Amino acid sequence: MARNFRYFEKKRGHRRTGSRTLGSLGEAIFFALLLVLGCAGIVAGFVWLVIPEWRVHHGFVETTCLVLQKKLGEKEGDGGTLYRPEIQIEYEVHGIQHYRSTYDINYDGARAYSSDRDAAAAALEPFEKGRAYPCWYDPSQPDVAVVVRGYQGWLWLVFLVPGSFVAIGAGGLLYTLLRWGKSAERRAAMVQRAQPIELFDIDRPGETRLPNIPDLSDITSSPGTKLAYRLPLSHSPGWTLLGLAAACLLWNGSVSYFIVSAVRAYLAGQPDWLLTLFILPFLAIGIALVVCFVRQLVVATAVGPTLVEISDHPLLPGGEYRLLVSQSGRLNMRSLEVWLACREEATYRQGTNARTETRQVRRLPVFRREALAILPGEPFQAECSVCVPAGAMHSFRADHNEIDWSLVVRGEVVNRQAFERAFPVIVHPLSGASTPGSGGP
Amino acid sequence: MNEPAILIRLDDPPRTYRPGQSLSGQYRLESVEGDPIRAVEVSVLRYTEGKGEQDLAVHEFWRRDNDSGDLVDPRRPERFSTTLPPSPLSYDGQIIQIRWCVRVRAFLSRGRELVAEKPFRLGDGA
Repeated sequence: MARNFRYFEKKRGHRRTGSRTLGSLGEAIFFALLLVLGCAGIVAGFVWLVIPEWRVHHGFVETTCLVLQKKLGEKEGDGGTLYRPEIQIEYEVHGIQHYRSTYDINYDGARAYSSDRDAAAAALEPFEKGRAYPCWYDPSQPDVAVVVRGYQGWLWLVFLVPGSFVAIGAGGLLYTLLRWGKSAERRAAMVQRAQPIELFDIDRPGETRLPNIPDLSDITSSPGTKLAYRLPLSHSPGWTLLGLAAACLLWNGSVSYFIVSAVRAYLAGQPDWLLTLFILPFLAIGIALVVCFVRQLVVATAVGPTLVEISDHPLLPGGEYRLLVSQSGRLNMRSLEVWLACREEATYRQGTNARTETRQVRRLPVFRREALAILPGEPFQAECSVCVPAGAMHSFRADHNEIDWSLVVRGEVVNRQAFERAFPVIVHPLSGASTPGSGGP
Repeated sequence: MNEPAILIRLDDPPRTYRPGQSLSGQYRLESVEGDPIRAVEVSVLRYTEGKGEQDLAVHEFWRRDNDSGDLVDPRRPERFSTTLPPSPLSYDGQIIQIRWCVRVRAFLSRGRELVAEKPFRLGDGA
């Protein structure tokens, strides 16, 4: 059925999307307004700030003047006294004597004054009463003359604000107009065609391009010691530790100021109960952060590194692969287990927030060992096999939706917190390779 | 008077198309004689459904535009054909679904649009 203009588009789940046409119109108006404001700002800046100074250089006529008087002009501003240099001069134009109090072209404007008294006084220094100096007058208004000309460099900074308005407005308007009236498919085709060609992204002979499947290079860049590839961790524990350390320092540093104030009040015999009550929850959060940091530190240092090597990569549905799991440290473990996990991750907008929901949709046990002791310098190593189920979905990555596969190692340590480390792997569709993996290094 | 419509027909569609397989078919516009057609877009595309924002990508996109001289004759069926890519395959997950379809969009006068879709599955299995 033919559709006319709609205020609302189709409902997606519990969310109703707004009209694309109305949205585009709103965007176009917003960016056009920004553009107009920016242009107006730039024109005003040129008219009021740049052109007068340019005219002094290129339109004013040079002559000689006699300095009759010099003084520091003063006026009261909102923030105190303001100052400007004032030079009284006498000069002749076409046989007519002119008398004027002047300095530069901004002399009569508000910008002539500043709160910097020393700078205004220093500007008077080069002039001496009774001596002749060059000056420049406006041929169309000989009464207007200056004894100093020059461009004020800082004026160009004034154009940063309207300039950014113009850049954002023009860019946004162009983007909106390019999308205007175009279908989602046409926009997607335009975006795909405009994708930059990646440097070093060279098609290798015999290699099929697989749309929406993540790149392998991060995973296959590290060779293993016994099997073909050593798998990287999904995220380095170092970054987690660094983040926690920074959070601990920032939080507890801020809270410590209030703690010191409260302790001083106690020592002075005037306890501040309100302050004490106020800082207690903040102190509790600070302690929790420290505990969390220490736990992570223990996991990162005492537990020792976990290494996983695999006989082939990428994985294929129906393929069987050999796996080497190595765990170092000084550990008395209740259990060590490995499983192959598939996780869906969807990102969506709720109001102005972007939210991400993840769901583990497959958990395939690979290996489990119970009651084992690991000694320093003697890492625990075990070889096992991992099978990717036939018909399993391949890895998938788009802007808002992902399907990820990973090998997860979980260790339960006696008297310590359990640890879990994920090693991402990529699963290709069967059509992306000639045969399923056979498992040889 | 019948409502304007687009009919899409795939040639001998299997239950599931395999990657690298050729997909072909034709589309026809019905009951649009009195309404001039400005343009017609044909896309073979995939999109996601589910919890997340929709990701849409086109595998093939053709546009016939009266302004560019590609006159659209609504009475004549138009054919399309493409070779399907190796991925992504159709998927029915818990919070993500991946769908494939042929979508035909006709742009009529006064900003009106006609859209029709023919879904199909892309998979490794037969």
